[in-house]
Amino acid sequence: MTKANSGSVSTANQGIKIVGFLCNWCSYGGADTAGVCRFKQPTDLRIIRIPCTGRMDPLFAAKALIYGADGVLVSGCHPRDCHYSVGNFYARRRLEVLKHFLPFMGIEPRRFHYTWVSASEGQRWQQVVTEFSEQIQQLGLNPGVRNPGPGIELEGLLNRG
Amino acid sequence: MTNTDIKQLCGLLHEQVQAALPELETVIGWTQGYDLLHTTPVFVRDANSISKLIWNPFCSQNLTGYLVKTPAVQATDKAKKIGVCVKGCDSRSLVALIQEKFVSRDSLYILGFPCHGVIDWHRVMLKVPATGIQAATVEDGQLILEHNGGLQRLELADVLARKCLRCVYPNPVIHDTLIGKVATPLVTVENAYRDVEGLEQQSLAERLDFWRSELDRCMRCYACRNACPLCVCQERCIAETREPKWLTQYMSISEKYLFHFIHALHLAGRCTECGECERVCPMEIPVTLMKEELSKIIRELLGYEAGVNLEAVPPLLTFSPDETSI
Repeated sequence: MTKANSGSVSTANQGIKIVGFLCNWCSYGGADTAGVCRFKQPTDLRIIRIPCTGRMDPLFAAKALIYGADGVLVSGCHPRDCHYSVGNFYARRRLEVLKHFLPFMGIEPRRFHYTWVSASEGQRWQQVVTEFSEQIQQLGLNPGVRNPGPGIELEGLLNRG
Repeated sequence: MTNTDIKQLCGLLHEQVQAALPELETVIGWTQGYDLLHTTPVFVRDANSISKLIWNPFCSQNLTGYLVKTPAVQATDKAKKIGVCVKGCDSRSLVALIQEKFVSRDSLYILGFPCHGVIDWHRVMLKVPATGIQAATVEDGQLILEHNGGLQRLELADVLARKCLRCVYPNPVIHDTLIGKVATPLVTVENAYRDVEGLEQQSLAERLDFWRSELDRCMRCYACRNACPLCVCQERCIAETREPKWLTQYMSISEKYLFHFIHALHLAGRCTECGECERVCPMEIPVTLMKEELSKIIRELLGYEAGVNLEAVPPLLTFSPDETSI
């Protein structure tokens, strides 16, 4: 976990959980910068550090949303600034396709966002994460794709592993 | 296509195979199944079995999967080629496989068939639960069935496979020999996505309900994956591996959803909409819809159509730094 969370503010949290996939070289550093600068940030984000957005399998985001994560935020180096030159060029095609595909399957596309934040852009990181968190707060909890109703508890029990 | 047409085309097919067989290791084609509505794949290795090969509007299988899936048909003698029979849709799978270097164009002898649509026997059974079929012919836009209950005429629109009603490529896009007259496409690319557009009209909640009820029937038999000529991971498929562990054996709707996401997203930009996944689904889930939607998205975003151009690179396997729209 970066220091990004140390200067956090508590929002009207409804138990919202956002999964953040941040690239090691830019956005993870950007989140760190935001922390070091003590910019206030919402606490809904759980960060997973990935080596590059090129490592970001769209299925990571799909799985999180299917199983009930309230939001998925992917952030990497700005295009043309990728540490590995081209990882984010691949990523943006894949992620854009996923973003268009989610609503077809009945999953709210606004729960998924991808963007680019460099290591020096602490301010921009604060803005990105605050705006996305507000958007997810408005959308509320994500029930995932499970059928609401009595079956859900049994399903929850079975799926505990 | 009348009966005489079919006889003539089968004769032509036998002649072509007869002539090419010395150069071929094997020919993958269709043969008569257990009744007139069904065909089954056949592997012809010697001149005596050539007569088994058939071509008619019931040849629904896409045979190109046999070139890449274990136990893949391979030439023991490298100088020999493998013959494969393809319809328009199947030929696009072949293009995709050649693009991704799973098979080489030089190792293939492609027998192409212009196609006027294949019959989906599920749809026939929905119309007439026929038993003891003695004759089945396609004539003047109708399927004429002769069975124990008498003679019955069914409109082709009611019994063709769904993929055929939205077919843009009835003629093989690659072939070494073409058997039959060139067919005219019934739909344009613009109209080919009516089915998914219908779903797109619905609200998010309605779509979720639609897929929940459809995928609820899924029993994860993986027939869709196994039949797909482009699902090439096989024993490494992440739907079954324990490491990495993507799915468990629990039969919850979430697992089913994720499995279909895996299948669809792994085919994004590659799927040629041959409809095999939907044809083999024992629960009759319209699984091709997901791939159609992805093809539509990729067409709109990246201007790419899968399985048409041998030289093209599938869009998600490459990138363009200059794209600013996405």
